[in-house]
Amino acid sequence: MCSNIQLIFEKETENELKNFVPQMDIDEVDINEILPNTLQRKDLPIPNIPEVEIVRHFINLSNRNYGVDSGIYPLGSCTMKYNPKVNENIVRMPEFTYIHPLQEENDGCLELLYHISKLLGEITGMDGFTLQPAAGAHGELVGLLIMKKYFESKGLKKLKIIVPDSAHGTNPASAKMAGFSIIEIQSNKYGEIPLDQLEFAMQEGDVAGIMLTNPNTLGVFDRQIKEITKIVHENSGLCYYDGANINPMLGICRPRDMGFDIIHLNLHKTFSTPHGGGGPGSGPIGVVNELIPFLPEPCLISTQQGIVCNENNDKSIGRIKAFWGNFGVIVRAYAYILALGAEGLKRVGQVAVLNANYLRVLLQKNFNLPFNRICQHEFVLSDRGMPNEVTTEDIAKRILDHGIYAPTIYFPLIISGALMIEPTETESKKSLDYFVEVMNKIYEEAKNDPEILKNAPHNTSVKRLDAVLAARNPILHD
Amino acid sequence: MNNLITELFKLDFVPHDDKTVKEMLNVIGVKSLQELFQDVPSDLIIEKLNLSSGLSEPDLIRQLEKISHKNKVYSSSFLGAGCYFHYIPSLVDFVTSRSEFYTAYTPYQAEASQGYLQAIYEYQTMISRLTQMDVANASMYDGSTALAEAAIMSTIITRKSSVILLRGIHPEYVEVIRTYCWGQNINIKSANEENLKDMLSDDVAAVLFQSPNFFGDIEDVSNIIKNVRDNCPNCLIIQVMTDPTCLGVLKPPGATDVDIFVAEGQSFGITPSFGGPGLGIFTAKQKYLRKMPGRLIGKTKEINGEKEGFILTLQAREQHIRREKASSNICTNQALCSLAALTYLLALGRTGLKEVAKQNIQKTHYVKQKLSEIPGYKILNKKPTYNEFLVKCPDIEFLIEQCRQQELLPPLKLTNYYPEMKSIALVCVTEMNSKQSINNFLEAARSASKDNVEGQ
Repeated sequence: MCSNIQLIFEKETENELKNFVPQMDIDEVDINEILPNTLQRKDLPIPNIPEVEIVRHFINLSNRNYGVDSGIYPLGSCTMKYNPKVNENIVRMPEFTYIHPLQEENDGCLELLYHISKLLGEITGMDGFTLQPAAGAHGELVGLLIMKKYFESKGLKKLKIIVPDSAHGTNPASAKMAGFSIIEIQSNKYGEIPLDQLEFAMQEGDVAGIMLTNPNTLGVFDRQIKEITKIVHENSGLCYYDGANINPMLGICRPRDMGFDIIHLNLHKTFSTPHGGGGPGSGPIGVVNELIPFLPEPCLISTQQGIVCNENNDKSIGRIKAFWGNFGVIVRAYAYILALGAEGLKRVGQVAVLNANYLRVLLQKNFNLPFNRICQHEFVLSDRGMPNEVTTEDIAKRILDHGIYAPTIYFPLIISGALMIEPTETESKKSLDYFVEVMNKIYEEAKNDPEILKNAPHNTSVKRLDAVLAARNPILHD
Repeated sequence: MNNLITELFKLDFVPHDDKTVKEMLNVIGVKSLQELFQDVPSDLIIEKLNLSSGLSEPDLIRQLEKISHKNKVYSSSFLGAGCYFHYIPSLVDFVTSRSEFYTAYTPYQAEASQGYLQAIYEYQTMISRLTQMDVANASMYDGSTALAEAAIMSTIITRKSSVILLRGIHPEYVEVIRTYCWGQNINIKSANEENLKDMLSDDVAAVLFQSPNFFGDIEDVSNIIKNVRDNCPNCLIIQVMTDPTCLGVLKPPGATDVDIFVAEGQSFGITPSFGGPGLGIFTAKQKYLRKMPGRLIGKTKEINGEKEGFILTLQAREQHIRREKASSNICTNQALCSLAALTYLLALGRTGLKEVAKQNIQKTHYVKQKLSEIPGYKILNKKPTYNEFLVKCPDIEFLIEQCRQQELLPPLKLTNYYPEMKSIALVCVTEMNSKQSINNFLEAARSASKDNVEGQ
């Protein structure tokens, strides 16, 4: 397990197998008659490898990887909850997998897309949804383009967006991609927005609105959320809700009621679709009635003829992805919502918060907790005060030695040496207790044997890797 | 009482029993779950979502089956236009179903994620070899957004504000580029081969073209490149394709001096799934590496050891470090789809991929030949084609109807995208079209031919 694994390319053979191509059943002509020689490639440097070798290779690789099914995955702001297995079977139903996006007999797909829009509308309070965005950041871009188009349609030039310093990095990056410049607001010590600063910033006049994550990246629900959205609206701005952290709010409260006009959801976080090792995700956008005309194309509406595309939509921002969005991801989220129902979703929100607070209370005995108050889905520890100058990175790497995954580290940027912990509702008390036991052991080691932390990890397939070397001299393929 | 019964028969993935919940509340020092939401203003708290009760697993499956049965799966397809039916080896689903892969997230903790990191490094290697481009990233959302991000990247590199789109780019991709470029105030100009030279002004950052293009034509890429290089030396050349299985036979973009090459990778082992998820393949010349969007996996060594390992690298380009100064806002990509593509290309291997490409070309050629022999049908492509072509039909509606009756997914009616291009079908033929299905298609065409339709 600890030896270097060969790259698959080293298993090349001379076998000329065509296992995965149907037998040719028509008469061929000389290919040079169809395709001029100058358009053909000379060689194709990809290997021929027997099936059994490929399978063993990937099984070995999978043994060197960690997923939610391996154990707790407390990656803050990523909502790494259990992915129900039934959804994997549902998405593989042939009448979902073998449907072409441009075929006409697609009533089932359209019905599913339309119905999940309605369900998401009920869950969030928003009036209309698009399921086109392929990921959360993609959704952010779409939401901001909607904002931009909305103000353009009113003949207003509003090219600035307020983003607090506690926001996910995608927020300012998406705002820039949509052509906005950023006004950064310093949040208070709980990561909340100071109202006087907000008022001051909004009064600049050309501010389109604000992007907010609530609960914020410190896991704190902004108690003045209604005042915030009111100030923005009074200054004719719009409020964008980054839904990355909406899991604890399921069945408890809704962004629309908080005063938000546009929200994105991450189906791969909140609605349990597998993260896939970093995608595919899905980032639907929900809006209030006034913004529905600006949603991207294609937009579904219900008519007497059934669910159809709304084609006369001059105000739409246009298309933001080919075809219909990440349908396979959306099917899983749909099944999840149907399976849980109203009561189940509320239980998700409640237990996500219960689990986070349980860890918060038990971990603060040994670790610095900058803000000690009831949190929502996550909380943030700091490496401040750790014995023997043990850092957050040391702690994270040592966690791996205990066969579990580490929290998000060094984010949010407003806490030095942040460890951002989000257990989600699907971790049992036993699993949480084990995490606490590991963390307490690490604290004892920091006091008594700090070297073991500074050289961690020891039990993984490789020891701590050199990130500086990788960036200085990038080797991106063999 | 009724309520209680429905409550029992539903899925629930929370592991706690009531006793555990109470114990945990005690540890926290609150009396109820409600107390945990004390920061939420009380008038925001809702009583209950207006959704139906949950479902048990068999009930859930029954309900989803009912919906899926409203779709129709055909026995054979002549529809492509950016989404293709190719054979998917069984081991692709086997590999991507390993939950160590599919339930993981972006490999931030490299030492616990060596398996996935190595797989994506191998994917980058595979794509570099296949395309002969210097560097490939870990993936983008799909072909359309990869192309839009390539256009934006070209404006960052050249500091110019216009891009030229050559005729023949997938119409939905063109719409996506328009949306992205509107956001960044980038001008879009449309050109064809004839007027391209005149369009190459000083403000042009890049020329974008698709080959094989939306109409099926394989472009003479070296001609386009020469034209651009001669008239606009600082302008970047960006190529896109929607079915890269053609690279089994066609000259790779890296052999033709293309600056950025992107593709939709759905053909590499990913089911159509109503058009998503797909795979955005993104490659570029080495000199543009640091302006590339998306994740990159690099090879490195242990700090205090000799073993090699893999790690997310050049993250200083990315949003979580650079925030608004990042080269793109992309965070999550399509990792599992790149794992599928890697597995597909390994399973096929050199011999298999060549054979797939060859069969696509040969079968398409065969259908073109046979169709052109039927009265009233005219093949419109003047250039060589891969697996798609345009045919003018005597009665396209009747042809489509006939295809359906033969259990064939009909080709695309071009008027769906180009209202002025009447009676033209975009036909796609892959290795999955057996001789039998091809004969059925030709039969459908014959019955919708000039002679037969007029004779009715």
